[in-house]
Amino acid sequence: MKSAIFSDWAEWLPRLLDGLWVSVQVTGLSLIIGLAAGLLLALAAFARTRLLTWPAILLVEIGRGMPALVMLQLVYFGLPSVGLTLETYAAVVLALSLTTAAYTSEIIRAGLRAVPDGELEAADALGMSRGDVMRFVVIPQGLRIALPTLLGFAILIFQISSLAFSLGLPELLSQAYSIGAATFRYLDVLTLAGLLYLAVTIPAGWLVARFERRLSRHLTT
Amino acid sequence: MNQAESILSLRDVEKTFAGHCAVDGVSLDVARGEVVAVIGPSGSGKSTMLRCINLLEVPDRGTITVDGTDLDTSGTVSARDLTQLRRRVGMVFQSFNLFPHMTVLRNISLPQERVLGRSRDEADRRSMELLERVGLQQKADAYPAKCSGGQQQRVAIARALALDPEIMLFDEPTSALDPELGLEVLAVMRQLADTGMTMIVVTHEIHFAATVADRLIVMADGRILEQGPPQQVLDDPQHARTRTFLSAIKDR
Amino acid sequence: MDVLPIIVAAIPVTLGVTAASFAIGAVLGLALVAGRRSRWTVVRGLSRSVVEVLRGIPPIVLLFIIFFGIGSGALRMEPFQAAVIGLGLVSAAHLSEVYRGSLLAVPKGQFEAADALGLSRSTTSARVIAPQAFRVAMPGMVTWAISLLKDSALVSTIGVAEIMSVTNQHARSSGDGLMPFILAAAVYIAIGTPLAIWSRWLEKRFARIRKAA
Ligand SMILES: Nc1ncnc2c1ncn2[C@@H]1O[C@H](COP(=O)(O)OP(=O)(O)OP(=O)(O)O)[C@@H](O)[C@H]1O
Ligand SMILES: [Mg+2]
Repeated sequence: MKSAIFSDWAEWLPRLLDGLWVSVQVTGLSLIIGLAAGLLLALAAFARTRLLTWPAILLVEIGRGMPALVMLQLVYFGLPSVGLTLETYAAVVLALSLTTAAYTSEIIRAGLRAVPDGELEAADALGMSRGDVMRFVVIPQGLRIALPTLLGFAILIFQISSLAFSLGLPELLSQAYSIGAATFRYLDVLTLAGLLYLAVTIPAGWLVARFERRLSRHLTT
Repeated sequence: MNQAESILSLRDVEKTFAGHCAVDGVSLDVARGEVVAVIGPSGSGKSTMLRCINLLEVPDRGTITVDGTDLDTSGTVSARDLTQLRRRVGMVFQSFNLFPHMTVLRNISLPQERVLGRSRDEADRRSMELLERVGLQQKADAYPAKCSGGQQQRVAIARALALDPEIMLFDEPTSALDPELGLEVLAVMRQLADTGMTMIVVTHEIHFAATVADRLIVMADGRILEQGPPQQVLDDPQHARTRTFLSAIKDR
Repeated sequence: MDVLPIIVAAIPVTLGVTAASFAIGAVLGLALVAGRRSRWTVVRGLSRSVVEVLRGIPPIVLLFIIFFGIGSGALRMEPFQAAVIGLGLVSAAHLSEVYRGSLLAVPKGQFEAADALGLSRSTTSARVIAPQAFRVAMPGMVTWAISLLKDSALVSTIGVAEIMSVTNQHARSSGDGLMPFILAAAVYIAIGTPLAIWSRWLEKRFARIRKAA
């Protein structure tokens, strides 16, 4: 009996691993695109002119305020009616990138704000231009402060990628669900999928925590 | 004092924060090479006055003249004038404010490259010269967190000097330091005064004021209460408030 | 626009799922945090593992395991029950972390002072530590409530007729894939924003209190 379960698991595993690979791919792509956009939004929100700050903050609040599932559906089902039809894969990456941009811009903005005022004053007093102050003083340190939280968010967006199931993207959860539908062995296959998610998120979480401890040690000594 | 030989003058400088007058019409002339010490109770406007000189605070009223160039602060100051002013006026803060993610050497070289347009080599050479002068050439590649407070403050002084300023402003440069670390910073400042640098030093170090400064200014309520040769002000203060303040710090 | 009344009518279901899951999580979270501070290593390790698993697994996967996995077998379950159990468990893990952080924020001196006064362990917990920790935990709890509100959209996938579910249905039947989702997003933001403002206000107030102390 027990060995039967494991032989089934072994049979399902390749399909699930294919799904996991898709999950990792869309997560990675969304992180790359979303982080770039998030940094730009954070800089806009940090700017001195309200013309830039207000629209940026509004966009971020909207992106963070709606469930990721709504973002996915909106991009996939909504964009065609304004003339933009995307394949499932592209729609998922776009939606997750938008969600990533909104969340990470907030994280990065908090990092930028955490750079001590005294250093900005010192840079001012040295006659450095506003652009130079951002480039050499604020951004490098702000990103470093934000890094652990950003890594934590990367784990979260990996979890969120499971929502792409709702659009039929063949990622891990979709694969598990369709195996379940075919075999009626929902509990087994979903548990196995859950374990695969955990195999990524738990070690990743440990690494982030270790990294965070190391970083704080570096800053205090 | 004759206007012609003064390198810095403030005329009726005023700065108000939310209805509270932090600097209330201060006028001051500083001669080239002069060392001015500023003392006064907390909240008397010492920092604000200092920060008005390099426009970290923009005064509400008044004129600031640095080496013949007038800045009328009631209008807007152009970015060019501001950069010009700041490379000629160096500032050292109570909290050092080094950039913690850069080595000591980068801290000193980067502003030279960005503000003066020096090449990296040129900047590094100048930085090493200054580090030697403040006795820290062995710390060039260390990060600020690996330096003591006194060492960090000496680096901050070198960083400001690297832009070849004509005037140096110090806002309580030793207040955040243990006494023995403060001494090494004061030694560097004393040496700097000997080279003929024009300096304005806000400080609670009466001994430094008495032995290094050419003039001692006492501030209260945003105004200059009295000023004169340090020994004279310390030994024979004209105002009752000065006497109370002096006895308070001497009793510490 | 005719979808708006339908969405509004579904708001109570969304709020119901959110509130019930939060309540379950708030209580179970206490148990988990007690477990993590237990005297026994086994209990500590077990509680910690439970928290890591519940936080590490995507909530939708947990919901599927409960609804399709367990619910299709021995235990028949309504979608609403499965939803509240699943999100309740996830909340328990997250809230236990919020509690744990707030307990760490209570100064050690408070425990020592209570000890020195000869207070019992339970009195110390209930009268000295809990009230202080609760104040610290408040903003984090509200922040979690906002996340939970958004996560409640997930339960549409197991057939709970909340905002997301009715929006999806309407989008499908009307062929308009844009307006319904924009309105749904607006409704979530409209509910979440006051909570976010409240949380920020609590945080500021706490920062002020700490500064004054
Ligand atoms: N940015 C600011 N906003 C509002 N008020 C300010 C600001 N900076 C200074 N003040 C106020 O202006 C007054 C003068 O402050 P200032 O820092 O110049 O005093 P100080 O003589 O340097 O005192 P200390 O010895 O404590 O450094 C104080 O009442 C202070 O509260
Ligand atoms: Mg001051």
